[in-house]
Amino acid sequence: MQSTLQQANRKLAIRMMVIACLMFGFGYAMVPFYGALCKAMGIDRANSDFANTSAAVIRVEFDTNVDTGLAASLIALDPVLAAKPGGLLKARFRLINKSDQPLKVRAIPSYAPARAAGLLQKLECFCFDGLTLAANEQRDVMVVLLVANELPEELGAATLSYTLHPELKS
Amino acid sequence: MTTAHDALHAPAHDHAHEEHHVSFVQRWFYATNHKDIGTLYLWFAFSMFITGGIMALCIRAELFQPGLQFWQPDFFNQLTTLHGVIMVFGAIMPAFTGLANWMLPLMIGAPDMAFARMNNWSFWLLPPAAALLLISFFVPGGAAAGGWTLYPPLSIQAGMGMDLAIFAIHLLGLSSIMGSINIVTTVLNMRAPGMTMLKMPLFGWTMLITAYLLIAVAPVLAGAVTMLLTDRHFDTHFFKAIGGGDPVLFQHIFWFFGHPEVYIMALPAFGIVSQIIPTFARKPLFGYVSMVYATCSIAILSFMVWGHHMFAVGMPASTQLFFMFLTMLIAVPTGVKVFNWIATMWQGSMTFETPMLFSIGFVCLFTIGGFSGLILAIAPVDTQMQDTYYVVAHFHYVLVAGALFTLFAATYYWLPKWTGNMYHEGRGQFHFWWSMVWFNVTFFPMHFLGLAGMPRRIPDYALQFTDFNAIASIGAFCFGLGQIFFLFNVIHTIRGGVGKAPAKPWEGANTLEWEVPSPAPHHTWETPPSLEMVEKGLKAQGLLGDHHE
Ligand code: HEM
Ligand SMILES: [Cu+2]
Repeated sequence: MQSTLQQANRKLAIRMMVIACLMFGFGYAMVPFYGALCKAMGIDRANSDFANTSAAVIRVEFDTNVDTGLAASLIALDPVLAAKPGGLLKARFRLINKSDQPLKVRAIPSYAPARAAGLLQKLECFCFDGLTLAANEQRDVMVVLLVANELPEELGAATLSYTLHPELKS
Repeated sequence: MTTAHDALHAPAHDHAHEEHHVSFVQRWFYATNHKDIGTLYLWFAFSMFITGGIMALCIRAELFQPGLQFWQPDFFNQLTTLHGVIMVFGAIMPAFTGLANWMLPLMIGAPDMAFARMNNWSFWLLPPAAALLLISFFVPGGAAAGGWTLYPPLSIQAGMGMDLAIFAIHLLGLSSIMGSINIVTTVLNMRAPGMTMLKMPLFGWTMLITAYLLIAVAPVLAGAVTMLLTDRHFDTHFFKAIGGGDPVLFQHIFWFFGHPEVYIMALPAFGIVSQIIPTFARKPLFGYVSMVYATCSIAILSFMVWGHHMFAVGMPASTQLFFMFLTMLIAVPTGVKVFNWIATMWQGSMTFETPMLFSIGFVCLFTIGGFSGLILAIAPVDTQMQDTYYVVAHFHYVLVAGALFTLFAATYYWLPKWTGNMYHEGRGQFHFWWSMVWFNVTFFPMHFLGLAGMPRRIPDYALQFTDFNAIASIGAFCFGLGQIFFLFNVIHTIRGGVGKAPAKPWEGANTLEWEVPSPAPHHTWETPPSLEMVEKGLKAQGLLGDHHE
C-alpha cells in the first residue's frame, strides 16, 4: 500500500520533471519559432524579404523647423519629391539669417518612419557641417539622397525633417 | 471518529519524546518534516521581505525630494532591481510555498509532503541564492541594475553583478520547480479518502494550479537567463543586435514567463481568502465549482497575454488588439471570484477578526489594482502609461495588497495552529488598520504621478512631482514601521500570546487542519482522517449533497 503510493508519486514527479525540461527547451525553441511565426503572419514588415524590386515610386516629403528663439528661417524649396528605387533625389532648401549679426547654425535631420534612414541614404547634405551665415545672409543649400534599390512595398512615403539649431560653441 | 483521534495523538506523543534527542542542527538543517520546512520557508521569506523592504525605503528616501540626495543613479538602479527581484523571488513566492508546506498536508489529510528529502533541498537552495544577490552589491560594478525584467542590451553590458543575479535566478528557479513537483504530487496522490478533487479546500486547488504554472514557466525564465549568460560570455547572439540577435526576443521570452509569474503570486492569495472569508462569514464559500473553473481559466489565459507588456516595442495593430482583448478577458474570471467572495459574505454572520480584516482589505484593494490593470490593458492608453508610476501603483496594489495582505491574513489565521497560542487581537487589528492606511498613502498618489507623466526607475524628477512623492515616501516609512510591529506580534504569540489556543479557535472553520490539536503535533494524519471526519467537514463547507442554504 505504502509502496504503491511511493511508486505513483515517483511516476508523477518524473513526468513533471520531463515537462520542466521540455519547457526549458521551449524557451530556446522560441528563438527560431518567433522569427518563423512573424514571417508566416506577415508581422515583421521591416524585414528585407518583403522588399519588392518592382515597387513603384516613393514619395519623399521635406519638413523644416527652427529652434525657438533662433532668428533664422529654413524653407524647403522642393517640399515633395518622387523617386524611383535606385535613383538619386536632390532637394533644395533656403536658409535665411534674419538678424544683424553673423549666426552659426546646424541642421539636425530626422526620418519618419525611422527605417527610411536606411533606404534613403544621404550622399551630400548641408547638415553634415555647421554653417556660418553672415548678417542677413540668404543662402540656398542642398541635400542629395540615394534611394535604395529595393523598397518595401508598404513604404509609400517618407518624411525627412530638418530642425535648425544654434551651433554649440566648441 | 474516536479511533481517528487516538491514532492521531499516539504518534504525536511518541515524537514529543523523540524531539528531546534531536539537536537544533538536526531538526532544522536536515529538516524533512513538512511543518519544520514550512516554518523555515516562512522565516526566510520574512527576512527577505525586510531586506527588500529596506531597499524600498532607500528608494523612497531618495525620492522624497527632487535632486540627488543619497545615492548615485547607478546605485539607485541596483536598489530598484534588487528590491523587485528579492520581493518577488525571495519574499512572496517562498512565503506561499512555506504556507503550502505547512498547511496542505494538514488540510487534505496527508501525513507529509510526497518527497520529504527533496523538500529539504528545495528550501536550502534559497539561502545561497539570497546570499549571491546580496554579495553582488559588493562586486566590481555592483549589483544587477537593469530592472527586475533584465532587458538587454543593459543586462548584456552590465558587470559581474548580473552573472551573480543570473546564477541566483537559476537556483531560485530550481527550488521553485522542486517545490512545485512536491505540491502537485501531494495534492494529486495523497488526499484523504472521501476527499475528491472537487471537494478539496480551495487553497489546495490554487496551490495545485500555481505549481503547474511554475513547472511550465520557471524553466522558460531559466532558458532566457541562460541565453543572456551565453550572450555575455560565450559569444552567442540571441539578443545581441550586433551579431544579428534581437533584443525584443528577450522580452517575448521573459514575459512568457513574467505574466504567468504575476498569477503565481496572485492565485495562492485567492486560495487563502477563499478559506478565510467563509470561516468568518460562517457560511460555505459561494460558488465553489465556479471558483475552481475561474482559477483554471485565469491560469490558461495568463499564457496568452504576455504581449501586453510590450505594446511599446512596435507591434502591428492587429497583434496589439489580440493582446488587449485577451487581457481584458481575464477580468471575467477574476470578477467571478470577487463576486463569489462578496456573495459569501452576503447575509453571513460576519465577525471582523484580523484575518478577516486583511481578507476584506485584500478584496477591496485588489479590485482597485485589477481595475488599473484593465486600464493598462488598453493598448493606446498603455503607450502613454508604459514605464510611468501608474504602473508602479498598479502592480503594488496587486502585489502588496494582494499577495502580502493575504500572507498577513494567513499568518493570523493559522498562527494559533502553528504556535498553540492566540495572538493579541487588538494588536492584530492595529497592524491591519495601520498597514491599510499607510499602504494607500504610499501607493495611491503614485497613480497621479504616473498620470502626470513621472517615469519609473529614476532617482531624480521634475519639480512638479515633489508633493506627491513626499507623501508617498512618508507613507512608505510608516508602512515599514508597522511591519516591525507585526514581527513583535508574532514573537509575542510564539512566546505564549494571550493564552493557549483550542484546536479550533475559529467558530466557522471546517477544514481538516482544525481537527488536530493546537499546536499541530510534529506528526499528523499518519493514519488518514476517517471518512466520517472528512464528510463532516465537507458537509459544513457545503460540499456534500444535503447541505442547503
Ligand atoms: C511594502 C512596501 C513597498 C514599497 C514602499 C515599495 C516601493 C517600491 C518602489 C519605490 C519601487 C521603485 C519604482 C521605480 O522606480 O520604478 C518599487 C519597485 C518594485 N517593487 Fe516594490 N515596494 C514595496 C513592496 C513590494 C512588494 C511586496 C513587492 C512584491 C513582489 C514589490 C515588487 C516590486 C517590483 C517587481 C518592482 C519593480 C522593480 C523594477 O523596476 O525592476 N514591491 N517598489
Ligand atoms: Cu502581464
